Amino acid sequence: MIAAAAPDKVTPKSLDALRETLGRCDREGLKISIEGGKTLSGMGPVLPRADVSLITTGLSAILAHEYHDLTCSAQSGVRVAQLNAVLGEHGQFVPIDVPLRKKATIGGSLAAGWPGPRRHIYGRARDFVIGSQVALADGTLANAGGMVVKNVSGYDMSKLYIGSFGTLAIFTQLNFKTLPVPKKRRAMIAPLPEATRARAIERIASLVVPPAAAFCVEGFGKNVDGADDIDGRVLLYFEGTEELLERATLDTRSVLGKAGVPETSIVDTGAAESLDRTIDACIANKRGRSITYRLFGSPGTAQERAERMRDACNRHELFTDVLFDVMNGDVFVRASERDASHFGAKIEACHAELRELEPRCSIVACDSAARASFEAWGAVPAAIEKMRAIKARFDPHGTLNPGRFIGGI
Amino acid sequence: MLKQRLIDALGADAVKTEAEDLAVYAFDAYSQGVVPAAVVLPANTREVAAAVKIAKDCGEPIVARGAGTGLCGGAAPARGGIVFSFARMNRVLEVDVRNRRARVQPGLINLDLSKHVAASGLFYAPDPSSQKVSTIGGNIGTNAGGPHCLSYGTTVNHILELEIVDENGDVTTTSVDDVGYDLTGVLVGSEGTLAIVCSAWVRLLRQPETVRVWLAAFDDINAASAAVTGIIGAGIIPTALEMLDRVMLPPIEAAFHAGYPTDAAAVLLIESAGFEDEMNLHENEIRRVMKENGATTWRAAKSQAERDALWAGRKGALGATGRLAPNYYIQDVVVPRTKLPQALKAVEDACAPQGIIAGNVFHAGDGNLHPLLLYDRGDPKQVAAVIEAGNEILKAAVDLGGTISGEHGIGYEKRDTLRRIFSTDDLATMSRVREVFDPRRNLNPEKIFPAGVGCAEVA
Repeated sequence: MIAAAAPDKVTPKSLDALRETLGRCDREGLKISIEGGKTLSGMGPVLPRADVSLITTGLSAILAHEYHDLTCSAQSGVRVAQLNAVLGEHGQFVPIDVPLRKKATIGGSLAAGWPGPRRHIYGRARDFVIGSQVALADGTLANAGGMVVKNVSGYDMSKLYIGSFGTLAIFTQLNFKTLPVPKKRRAMIAPLPEATRARAIERIASLVVPPAAAFCVEGFGKNVDGADDIDGRVLLYFEGTEELLERATLDTRSVLGKAGVPETSIVDTGAAESLDRTIDACIANKRGRSITYRLFGSPGTAQERAERMRDACNRHELFTDVLFDVMNGDVFVRASERDASHFGAKIEACHAELRELEPRCSIVACDSAARASFEAWGAVPAAIEKMRAIKARFDPHGTLNPGRFIGGI
Repeated sequence: MLKQRLIDALGADAVKTEAEDLAVYAFDAYSQGVVPAAVVLPANTREVAAAVKIAKDCGEPIVARGAGTGLCGGAAPARGGIVFSFARMNRVLEVDVRNRRARVQPGLINLDLSKHVAASGLFYAPDPSSQKVSTIGGNIGTNAGGPHCLSYGTTVNHILELEIVDENGDVTTTSVDDVGYDLTGVLVGSEGTLAIVCSAWVRLLRQPETVRVWLAAFDDINAASAAVTGIIGAGIIPTALEMLDRVMLPPIEAAFHAGYPTDAAAVLLIESAGFEDEMNLHENEIRRVMKENGATTWRAAKSQAERDALWAGRKGALGATGRLAPNYYIQDVVVPRTKLPQALKAVEDACAPQGIIAGNVFHAGDGNLHPLLLYDRGDPKQVAAVIEAGNEILKAAVDLGGTISGEHGIGYEKRDTLRRIFSTDDLATMSRVREVFDPRRNLNPEKIFPAGVGCAEVA
């Protein structure tokens, strides 16, 4: 179902305005949908109804950068790239690896809980949040954590809000610990000849100097740098000192060579942008005729899961683009059709088969009308009843993003 | 009835009700002198669940206990009830080397996990100073840190999945990879007030290629604090950055022969782990910052034995205080790293007027202070003075923009102090989570939440 009427759009410029809007909606039984940069709006179901669309980009102040303490604080509507540009003035950053980071807000990114590809070395974005302030459904403000890098005073409520898709509360402020910007970045891209993929990724995963991020890709055209050979291509992103990168380069070429991959190109200028493009590809749509699934799992099973999902899509005569995260195990499979008029029927049957194969795969991007008829999140987790009870305690009137999250939360 | 039902479910060997057995479970470093009605030692998740159901039927509160190394009464019963000891659930259940993770039981001793996986080139990063005795379950309860969490993060960063038993005795699992609310993230650090952890998948890290440890000594503790700020401000995050002050250096050196200078005002113990290719750069930068801030001594450990000796002194520091006073009272506060000089002065100001000697051994890189207030428990005046000074230190940390616990939790001792950093609305929001997991407040009752914060304030 699509909303019957366009909701009222509200962009609060102050905490008081935000609280007033929330309090009014909660009292009057109005349903609110929450928008940050709208970059991850393809995740989850099409919402049945929202009376008010609450846009957080009006809360856009960077409140503090205590660069000697390696901490910062910003309002939730600040864009990810904007925050890192300011932190970068003192050689620091926060590793929030989300798609479309120039547009994505920090509040939306954390609310969506997007786990980035560099988390195996830096940790998840959640691990960098040292404090937060949220507005609850009735407009009450609640703080958690603080501005120190170590803190076990009370429950770590920020963890609960991160990845909750705004169904419990709305972030108004986030405090982070920051990291020094790496001295140098390097991308290495290699096309994979036939029957080299398994050996190549096994050797990448065991490199002594691990890449900050590594992907195995099949398809995605110009969305992702490089070009496929028979087995696709791999993209590795290294960060560190010049000396370390030189060693990593030699090691990588050596292990890939032993895996039967003869050709590896190096990108130094624009390596960070190349990584951005790869992350962006995870949610890139093909004009109303594609759907992208994400499936978490261990790195050791990523290739097998990716190929199983790809083959299922192919059996339904859908085109596929496949990307999996070699270091963390995340799998992304985009199924598409050249002719949009055929897409709906094909993907309906394919979706059912994918859910049979991988019950936990979830939809992360789709701009086709077909999305409205799919359950978007996949199998519910074991603790779903606890989650439902938490939702009921935090948002008893179902005001915030009702139905947005898994299990109809 | 309670005793017999527990024995029927767990066996006689797993149930303790004799007074002399119960007495030892009335303590961690803090005690209200409340003895439990029974202690159970379940052998598996099924037995945990069975005992929880019996506790619920009998209206007995539950306290899950690791090794009892906490400081704030978190593992000691406040209302009697049943203490769950995990001494029999202490195994590594599974190691997945390819994906660098392991499934462990809560009673496993922290250091034993790293020993278990060492041959695979892996280790478990959280390393509280108590790691030779403290358990993974207890570490999860308090979200324990340790010297190396400066670089590796605290326990929560290393927990992937939990198997838990809730207050009804139902078993469920949570995972950081679940689509849904991050219950794992909230359970870690909840001090056993939400559920009982029966097993955990934990993240393992590769052993670093190179480890270097340096010692820098200073004539002035403020210069040492400035050096800490200098390192962090220069964009260098060592693996560990610890400070020991003039009070603590002589007894530690006498006890451990670690090679610490005993005439310095402060010593910084610095460790950097990583790749050989980057280490010279780190060493040069750190050495430069130390020199700029007036270090009088700079020494690099030349061997594994020397590194181990330097760390043995640091990790055994609390035991060495016995050379200074019959008892010590240790605080756990955090301030922004740039506020270390003010925080150390606040410790001195809180203690000196009362005639209390305070030593400092702490995680300087995190701004996590552990003032050790030395006293004699047999002297009531000293006890009162130490408690007052402890409260002053908590207040000072909050006034400096910090917090009242960095790694030991709130427990019973600090629960009323929580109001200094959180408003009634903040606490009521936390209480909503408690209401879902433990509406009757039978899991580790009277911990974390100040008296009076409950459902009435949430409604």
